[in-house]
Amino acid sequence: MHAVDSRPNPAEAPQAPPPRHVARVRNRSQRDSRVAWLLSLPTLAILVAMLAYPLYRMIVLSFQNMRLKELFSGKTPPWAGVDQYTKALTDSVFWGVVGRTAAFTVVSVTLSVLAGLGIALLMRRVHAKVRLFMMIAMMFVWALPQLVAAQSFRWLTDSDFGVLNYVLTELGFDYATHSWFVNPWEGWAVITTLVVWAGIPFLAISLSAGLTQVPKELLEAATVDGASAWQALRNITLPILKPLLMIVTTLSVIWNFGLFTQNWALRDGHPEPVYQTLATFSYTQAFGRSNYSYGSAISVITVLLMLGVMVFYIRQMFKIGEVD
Amino acid sequence: MARHDDGVITVGRSRIGTFFANTTGIVFGLVMIFPVYWVLNTAFKPDSEVRSFTPTFFPNDFTLDNFKSALGEELFIPSMINGLIITAMAVAAALVVGFLAALAIARFSFYGRKAIILVILAVQLVPFLALLIPLFLMLQGANLTNSLVGVALVYLVLLLPYTVWTLRGFISGIPRELDEAAMIDGCTRAQVFWRIILPLTGPGLVATSVYGFIQAWNEFIIINTLNNPQKQNLMAWLLYNQTERGTAWGPLMAGAIITSIPVVVFFLIIQRNIATGLTAGAVKG
Repeated sequence: MHAVDSRPNPAEAPQAPPPRHVARVRNRSQRDSRVAWLLSLPTLAILVAMLAYPLYRMIVLSFQNMRLKELFSGKTPPWAGVDQYTKALTDSVFWGVVGRTAAFTVVSVTLSVLAGLGIALLMRRVHAKVRLFMMIAMMFVWALPQLVAAQSFRWLTDSDFGVLNYVLTELGFDYATHSWFVNPWEGWAVITTLVVWAGIPFLAISLSAGLTQVPKELLEAATVDGASAWQALRNITLPILKPLLMIVTTLSVIWNFGLFTQNWALRDGHPEPVYQTLATFSYTQAFGRSNYSYGSAISVITVLLMLGVMVFYIRQMFKIGEVD
Repeated sequence: MARHDDGVITVGRSRIGTFFANTTGIVFGLVMIFPVYWVLNTAFKPDSEVRSFTPTFFPNDFTLDNFKSALGEELFIPSMINGLIITAMAVAAALVVGFLAALAIARFSFYGRKAIILVILAVQLVPFLALLIPLFLMLQGANLTNSLVGVALVYLVLLLPYTVWTLRGFISGIPRELDEAAMIDGCTRAQVFWRIILPLTGPGLVATSVYGFIQAWNEFIIINTLNNPQKQNLMAWLLYNQTERGTAWGPLMAGAIITSIPVVVFFLIIQRNIATGLTAGAVKG
């Protein structure tokens, strides 16, 4: 998905042969350049046709008023100027969706990063067999397709036969036939749990890989010098972990801000207004109400909101690009 | 300085603390795995046991009926076949097209190379769902909605950046001296490609296509939007089945297992690549 792999590239160094046959070399490098562009051409063409052009179409669409009529007749939709944007920005429902999406992102990312970090630290402390068990459990959760995970949570929280209500009732709370999605706070608690649960494996496993980069000698020295576990964590482990922590947090923000699958599936493909996020809201406007232009405008606003977060990630990419 | 047999530093750590850590670890693992277990548990129960107000934590009457009825659903097998066709088309196309671009950025130094690298990295950030509206309209205009090819085209774009970037890593890993030695021995560039680079990138091609398979197989929103119920994949079937049928939990969980098995197996095979692929940039940057 978001691969930022960059293997070391030791063989890259000798690029230009000795400056003797300069003319021949230049000839060859020109031909090389042409071959390279030829090889990249199909990829670039596909990216332009299927990404750049749709992006352009989306922006154009957001300044028009495209409804079902235009979809079927194929006529150019009437221009609407900034009407779609005005409609969104003056709509309290839209702002509710923005606030909800942002709040969900902050809460779910905070919880999952803290939990991931805690589990990663815990994994250093436990017996090797326990660590293996934790790894296996997390691998299965990570491997599970998002929709399947969402369906399993829908079943766990089913009001009649769900095991959650059964267990809570057994524990002495009256949760028999309790519906988890009537009260939006409870519903969002379920959605957040699902997202955090599904997000922990990636976070914990990457962070625990990052923790192996922390030199043991440093921690031992600190302990010998009388530092508490907390001080060692704050002053040694976290600073070393920081770049990785930033990357995984940014990725989590990008993913969780785009929440779609989980609230969509848990609400049977018809999320009530209180369960709408920017992604589902835009989708519902476009494909549920055939309001393609309004949906596009919301998508454009979403992308703009996301850009702020992505700047960090993109900067990281520039660094990688420079190393190459 | 006390050390465990597995080399974990335990300086200043009490036995009670270690016991507490181990217990927490085990409880955490059990909590994590429970929803997965519950899917399996439900899938092997008869309907009467599934619809019981006191759920059983192990199937009393072990049965395969749910799998039979999932497989017997009108659209289950067609959806599976559709999914396989679409995935195969998208992955194959992404490999062929992506390999060429990967070759270019891994083995040639040319003007614009860095720009291409940045484009490849940046497009992975495009929130794809946002583009679904114009993509739908474009494919509708080209008469490619309700077709497997249309969906495969969209998936191709979804897979391509990742494919290029990973294959580039694998190609870069092949020592350039091999190319040069072969060229000195009289090989042409094309021969170097066929005889050296392609065979040595084999494992990379497998890993990349497995990841592509997972991505394409797991997708359901795009296909659900573009195609009618007859042309869905298995993941979209799971969603469609839910909204149409309501609470046939047993068959639904059985269907979910059948749908997940290839993904889980493949994922476990290549998990190392995924983990390093996602975060390697952080270590370097």
